[in-house]
Amino acid sequence: MFQFSYLKAKSLADAAALAKTNPDAKLMSGGMTLLPTLKQGLAQPSHLIDIGGLSELSGIEVKGDTLIIGAATRHYDVASSAAVKKAIPALAYLASLIGDPQVRNRGTLGGSVANNDPAADYPAAVLALNAKIITNRREIAAEDFFQGMFATALEEGEIIVKIAFPLPKHAAYEKFPHPASGYAMAGVFIAETTSGVRVAVTGAGPGVFRWSDAEAALAKGLKAGVLDKLKVAADDLNEDFHATREYRANLVQVMGKRALQKLVA
Amino acid sequence: MAKIELTVNGTREAREVEDRTLLVDLLRDHLGLTGTHIGCDTSQCGCCTVHVDGRAVKSCTMLAAQANGATVVTIEGMAKGDQLHPVQQAFTDCHALQCGFCTPGMIMATAALLKDNPQPTDEEIYHGLEGNLCRCTGYINIVKAVKQAAETMK
Amino acid sequence: MSEKHAANRREDLRLITGRGRYSSDMNLPGQLHASFLRCDCAHAEIVAINAKPALKRPGVVAVFTGEDAMAAGYKDFPNLLTFTNRAGATLIKPERPVIAHGRVRFVGETVAMVVAESALAAQDALDAIEVTYKDLPVVVDAEAALAAGAPQLHTNVPGNLNFEWDTGDAAAVEQAFKQAAHITKLKVVSPRVVPSPMEPRAAVIGYDTATDSYDVYTNSQGIIMMRWQFAALTGVAEEKLRFHLHDVGGSFGQRSAVYPEHGALMIAAKKLGRPVKWVSSRSEGFLSDSHGRSLIMAGELAMDRDGKFLAARYNFVCDMGAYLTPTGTASHVRNPAICTTGVYKIPALYANFRVAMTNTAPIAAYRGAGRPDIAYVVERLVDQAAVDLKIDRAELRRRNFIPLNEFPYKTPTMGVYEASDFNGCLAKALKAADWDGFAVRREAARKRGKLRGIGLSTTIEGTAAGMFPKDQIAIEFDAQGRLEVFTVALSQGQGHETTFAQVVADTLGVDAHDVTLRESVQGKNIAGNHTGGSRSLVGAGSICKVAAQKLIEQARPLAAEALELEPSQVEYAKGVFSARDGTKSVGLLELAKKHAGKNPHPLNLVAEGSVGATFPNGCHVAEVEIDPETGVSEIAAYTACDDSGAVINHAIVEGQVHGGVAMGAGQVFGERVFYDPASGQLLSGSFSDYAMPRAGWVRNINISEHPVISKVNVLGAKGVGEAGCTASLSSLVTAALDAVRPLGIQHLDMPLTASRMWQVIQQAQQAKVK
Repeated sequence: MFQFSYLKAKSLADAAALAKTNPDAKLMSGGMTLLPTLKQGLAQPSHLIDIGGLSELSGIEVKGDTLIIGAATRHYDVASSAAVKKAIPALAYLASLIGDPQVRNRGTLGGSVANNDPAADYPAAVLALNAKIITNRREIAAEDFFQGMFATALEEGEIIVKIAFPLPKHAAYEKFPHPASGYAMAGVFIAETTSGVRVAVTGAGPGVFRWSDAEAALAKGLKAGVLDKLKVAADDLNEDFHATREYRANLVQVMGKRALQKLVA
Repeated sequence: MAKIELTVNGTREAREVEDRTLLVDLLRDHLGLTGTHIGCDTSQCGCCTVHVDGRAVKSCTMLAAQANGATVVTIEGMAKGDQLHPVQQAFTDCHALQCGFCTPGMIMATAALLKDNPQPTDEEIYHGLEGNLCRCTGYINIVKAVKQAAETMK
Repeated sequence: MSEKHAANRREDLRLITGRGRYSSDMNLPGQLHASFLRCDCAHAEIVAINAKPALKRPGVVAVFTGEDAMAAGYKDFPNLLTFTNRAGATLIKPERPVIAHGRVRFVGETVAMVVAESALAAQDALDAIEVTYKDLPVVVDAEAALAAGAPQLHTNVPGNLNFEWDTGDAAAVEQAFKQAAHITKLKVVSPRVVPSPMEPRAAVIGYDTATDSYDVYTNSQGIIMMRWQFAALTGVAEEKLRFHLHDVGGSFGQRSAVYPEHGALMIAAKKLGRPVKWVSSRSEGFLSDSHGRSLIMAGELAMDRDGKFLAARYNFVCDMGAYLTPTGTASHVRNPAICTTGVYKIPALYANFRVAMTNTAPIAAYRGAGRPDIAYVVERLVDQAAVDLKIDRAELRRRNFIPLNEFPYKTPTMGVYEASDFNGCLAKALKAADWDGFAVRREAARKRGKLRGIGLSTTIEGTAAGMFPKDQIAIEFDAQGRLEVFTVALSQGQGHETTFAQVVADTLGVDAHDVTLRESVQGKNIAGNHTGGSRSLVGAGSICKVAAQKLIEQARPLAAEALELEPSQVEYAKGVFSARDGTKSVGLLELAKKHAGKNPHPLNLVAEGSVGATFPNGCHVAEVEIDPETGVSEIAAYTACDDSGAVINHAIVEGQVHGGVAMGAGQVFGERVFYDPASGQLLSGSFSDYAMPRAGWVRNINISEHPVISKVNVLGAKGVGEAGCTASLSSLVTAALDAVRPLGIQHLDMPLTASRMWQVIQQAQQAKVK
């Protein structure tokens, strides 16, 4: 791990100011991805700005038909929150599958979404639920936020404050974890929202994406079995020594099918 | 340099360390608490598991600076004098350790698991120990130990 | 805190309270820290190294390169394979400077060592070292390495072939094959694995100028083996090497050998006059720890019309990686050769072994060390033969087992088997596993959409003979007259402190807590073998019993003196010497205390003995369920019936079986080392890419024992450490194969990862459609 200076932000404004003064700094929330990256010598920030403990980034609340979760909320707190379990049980379930207990005790919603790892779980929920990412500067629609592998709409120094999830009628998530890393080899989140059925896929491709064929099929009727025979095009999916793109395509189909079974059950 | 003040196993400690110092290095190299082990560098094996403010964390994936002001419990702080913690007792009773290297992390993970879920099912135990690797035991006796500890702590 | 809390193992109390002492916990006053620069290319000439910029970095004391290794002459590693082949040729050993010199041959090979005031300072300076490489072509597959035109790794190893060795009677086998009614052939791999004991490698080495000698703290499997290898590598006399060995966080063969880093640290410690410490990260461990397995094995089995085995022959290609480790060759050549007949009577046998170099991390012993591999190919052959002949797999085995009345059984290759009851073991295991009732479970699984299969293995392994001809145990009494037992064996988790103390205590009839075991203690001048190959209880453990018996006899005259009787009038029972008439008595330990403080204590002794080879064996039955949609396999049931000979501590034996089976399950279902064939890069270089078994992989094992007492040692033990690995590879793979065979699948190769299993099922289904 290279040398860096650790800065603990006192407030959101302080964090933004620190980021502005230190262009080579990195923001750190839980650090569950950043610290291993630094340990592997894969990044060399001048400073780490710790925003993990900021009260402005905390809290879980339901306001009307929206569930709002502070960016620094840890996965464990999402998974075990009575409010989340009631509002969007699939989201609590998703959070309970991230990494492992120790990771869930440190890792945060905002950190995961800002990092946009193509195999992270949260992006699937954010995209499928058509959530809004609220930053210290603006609101960003999920659709515009995720821009491919590790790329997001966030500008330099822009910090996610909270994420607002419109409550779906129903939602379900199914994940096939990578046997070593625990990340999603394929994760499918289906949400029946007020504006139709949305299906988001993580893990299988270079970034989270909407599975439009499934959405089209489900628009015709949201019932079990609809996705059973739906083929997934493998061309744009990831391939590595763990799995071929055809296998990942299959996993998307199987996880989609299983998520749907849960959703309609 | 970062000035760190924290409570470890009930004792107030203060140290000045490089900013990049990991919590595990603070514990091992600066406080001499070598019961917390380092088994990997990718946050997978869980050998370094300790409790920070009551929650199990991997101390190799946390900066000492992030633990400033925190209350930390390590394996050395689990027994109360002569009295082993029920999880420690269960691990020896069930032959849930062989080489012992993963054991401190396993015990800390188990204690946290049981705090959260005092009567876990087998599936919940597997899920609860996903962050800890053991190469010796095949986990069968570890799962037994978790159950025994759950019984004693009822 | 007292030991009374630790109900079971003696070693547990310190380990569960964080008071274990592992190598990375060791620190010496004034120590420096080393960090290694490892090459990022698989095969290249080192055109130039400029280490000077690193010296300018803060805290850096020195940088060492291959020049220093060559100057020290640290380049020739010892090797346990010393026999010649029929042509009289010996193993060709390429040079391996402890820091690469001139050329690098695998990703992760050490090219420089920085020594600094702190570990971070040493690591920080690595990127200041400038190395210019000229890339060379790469070969990572052993068969490809042996093919004409392959890139050559070492000038003195033509065709990358270090050694070719055969055993058995090729002509007799050929003859038998001509007469066979049926021949079953297959080719299987035992894939490369990374042993991954949870404790990474570490060492602290100090140098004493006054006596020109070294102090070594490192992870190991035993003092004698380690000292011998250090001396052989460095030319430093054994008496100038002091080893301070404590807790070892697992090994599985991986710490059986001296490593280049050890030699490099010795060079630095001597040059700088300060102790030097190095602790490996897991990532550098993946690159530079010895790997295990990596064998390609072809087998052919000839039988008559009734399925009676007539002959078998094998062709092994043993990948050794880029250099030879001290243990890898013997593991892959000698050990499999002992059990080419499996548990079967096969009149004619022949096996050929080729040892090859590839641009990959060197291979060494890994739990079983060649034994699981030969057992795997034999069992795959027998299983396939049963399918080919449409004979029940258990029945075909019964027809061919070596019968009870033929022991000791001399195999046509190199083993002489001790008595075992293969039939009895099989019967017990099949009953425990409800082999006959499997159809119901398969059908129930089918209704759940799962493919369920059952597999069995009846395997054997040759072990215990040991590298050194005898094992010695010392019994000594300390200043307070307390009994201490000394062995050169060293537990890496096996629980010697408990088991060996139990052997001594049981023999003496005293409380086990009155006996303390001390392992691999520096300065104790006793001989014996390190802990490895399932042998410690058989070797050192059995000599513990001999030593305890000797102690009773040595104490008898002193007891007689204390009781004022003739020695013949003194009886011994349950720790007490008594007059025959029962009028007076003195306890053994009490007697020892009376003589406490004498130097030497009159009851101190050394006992010794040689044990022969033992043949642990067993029958394991596995049931595997496969989800055809995802290819995920789950172990649905597992039954193990083992003949480990006499058992001293059942909990420890069961623990060994658990761990061994889980390790086998890791190799079968998850662990996959992937070197990119074009670049030689290791793509599976961390626990995030290398799937280790986790809690729940093996949920339960139905364990039973079927002991036939060994005659080669006074305990009657055969050993158990490797049994789980040896038996589980074939039982699990054949269970999976049984599950998918109805789809028309005839062959599977490890590892059966979900993606590979899915692919195989897809191909079979597509073939059916066509």
